[in-house]
Amino acid sequence: MIEELIGIVPVFATYYLVALGHGFFEKSGVLNLAIDGLFVLGATIAFALAAYTLNPWIGVIGSSIVCSLFGVFIAYVATKLPVSHGALGLSLMFLGYGLSLVVGIPVSNYVYAKALNPSTYTVPATDTVLVVLLASSILIGVVLHYVLDRTKLGAMIKASGEDPHVAEALGVDVVRTRVIAGVIGYALIGLGSAYFTLVWRSGWDPKIYLLGHGWIAFAISLAAGRQPILTMLTASLFAGLVRHQYVVQVALGLSTEIAKMLPFIVALASMTLFYVTPFKRKMASPKSLGKPYYREERTV
Amino acid sequence: MVYLVVLRRTKPLPYASILVPVISILLGVLLSSIILYLLASIPPLALFNLIVRSFTSPTVLKDTLILTLIGLSLVIAFKASIWNIGAEGQFHMGMLVATWIALFTPIASIPVLAKITCILAGAVAGALWAILAGVLRAYVGLDEVPVTLMLNYVAYYVLDVLVYGPWRGRFTYGYIRTDEIPENLWLTLIPGTTAHVEVLATVLIVGLAIWFMFKYTIVGLRLRILGSNPEFLRASGVNVKHMVVLALGLSGAIAGMVGALYLLGDTHRVSYPVEAQTAGYGYLGILVAWLSMLDVRGLPLAAYVVSSLRVTGITMQIAGLGGTAIVFLFMGSVLLTYTVAKVFSEYTIVIRR
Repeated sequence: MIEELIGIVPVFATYYLVALGHGFFEKSGVLNLAIDGLFVLGATIAFALAAYTLNPWIGVIGSSIVCSLFGVFIAYVATKLPVSHGALGLSLMFLGYGLSLVVGIPVSNYVYAKALNPSTYTVPATDTVLVVLLASSILIGVVLHYVLDRTKLGAMIKASGEDPHVAEALGVDVVRTRVIAGVIGYALIGLGSAYFTLVWRSGWDPKIYLLGHGWIAFAISLAAGRQPILTMLTASLFAGLVRHQYVVQVALGLSTEIAKMLPFIVALASMTLFYVTPFKRKMASPKSLGKPYYREERTV
Repeated sequence: MVYLVVLRRTKPLPYASILVPVISILLGVLLSSIILYLLASIPPLALFNLIVRSFTSPTVLKDTLILTLIGLSLVIAFKASIWNIGAEGQFHMGMLVATWIALFTPIASIPVLAKITCILAGAVAGALWAILAGVLRAYVGLDEVPVTLMLNYVAYYVLDVLVYGPWRGRFTYGYIRTDEIPENLWLTLIPGTTAHVEVLATVLIVGLAIWFMFKYTIVGLRLRILGSNPEFLRASGVNVKHMVVLALGLSGAIAGMVGALYLLGDTHRVSYPVEAQTAGYGYLGILVAWLSMLDVRGLPLAAYVVSSLRVTGITMQIAGLGGTAIVFLFMGSVLLTYTVAKVFSEYTIVIRR
């Protein structure tokens, strides 16, 4: 029983951190459709750096840095220019898939040629590591909750998400706020995606762009109304589901493909449930989420 | 201090519908070539050479026709500001139903009627799959982008379940795939190319019908207003929810039709796992629709350019450089430059002191 629970930790940490970062960024009013592509890119960069340096932590840090650079880019362009957030996000999603294949395939060949054992470049899944992983993820969630609820930065982020025009009139620098939200949000997405290749899967697979874990994290965040503490609940639910796909599959007598389909169906169902219940009103999306922000005349 | 100021243009940029796509394709290809040079040391000149040669490749016509159709599907939705990212799933649902009819029903042996049934059934299946997302968007209020996207994964796995299990063929030499569909269902090749007569006919019929719909019918007008001013539509007594479902239904119908056509013309069978075999037309269509500036008349040209980029990717795959990677890079870069370039058709940047 304990073993099974511990096995969930890498999956939980990946989903929770990615969903947290995504929700935090979207609170500032930027629609984040780049999530799956940049999740794949982060996971690939973590794998590449870890395999070349044989130090998983360099991979983790590198992935966070690269992803947060993308966060800055998205926040800056989406706020400074009157662009479609959706198109911007989707373009970066495809760019993320492309970049991760261009980066990942040579590294994968290198790992194969050198006959590197995954244990030399991934994080060993010992009990201590997993406990630290779990505790640190929960701590990050609590800190984010505190930042959003109790600090000036949190108020500024929420104001930029609700109505950037009003926020600006009240003296909030919307661009700066969103860039900060982008850096923090995407650093967490980078962190979570690094755990995907270095702890959860212990390796990289060229079909990584087909898995759609970024979209599952998207649904995890949405079904919890982007609240860091509630996200813990939805993330554990999906982590359990994905981790024990096999158990679920056998218990219900399903085939492998139906089990693979299950997280997506549950994701769609949970988003629908969230929207038809009173939760939607209590934890509505930021009012200006995804709306281009244009002041009549402005400097670049 | 010198400032750069974003200003709304009083008049739209002249020739924007030509300038924006051309500039974004050129800059997007440049961006990809820089990325490929830096990360994979592929010399840009060799890449440009390949791209230019792809424009006259004999296989480019097939992709152009298919992508024009997917582009038509997406233009319907995009004009109504319904961001259908699920053409990939609708395509596979169309393929699924066409496979079922071709392999397991007596209709398959009737000449002509069999083909038409497959294509129309594909359209119905694609429409229903899209309407699922349409209902969630219209009546629940869920954003259609994540919904249509996640339904793509579900569609892949539904087809996988069938191909792996009940539909696995008897004559497959150990591969996990269905049997070939009967030969009387195969489409007719246009001589000298890899494209098919029936696909060309579908492009012409569907293309004209949609152009006519947007230009002369009330439904077309309402769809366009749904995209620009849904409040006005509501105020004038139109049921906006029905229009949302209709936009997705029509869009999905064409995507599903393409799935059926692709089965009858190209693959003749479905192989497991489908998500790894897909040509990605559903996603490439997004690029085609945007590059056409949502103008039906611009679609074939946009599809031609995107097909050439896809052929370039495939040629490089044969050379061992990973075709999927390059197609994704082109797509991402061109979409990115397009998104930014499009701003300048309505806004301008001036220098102020």
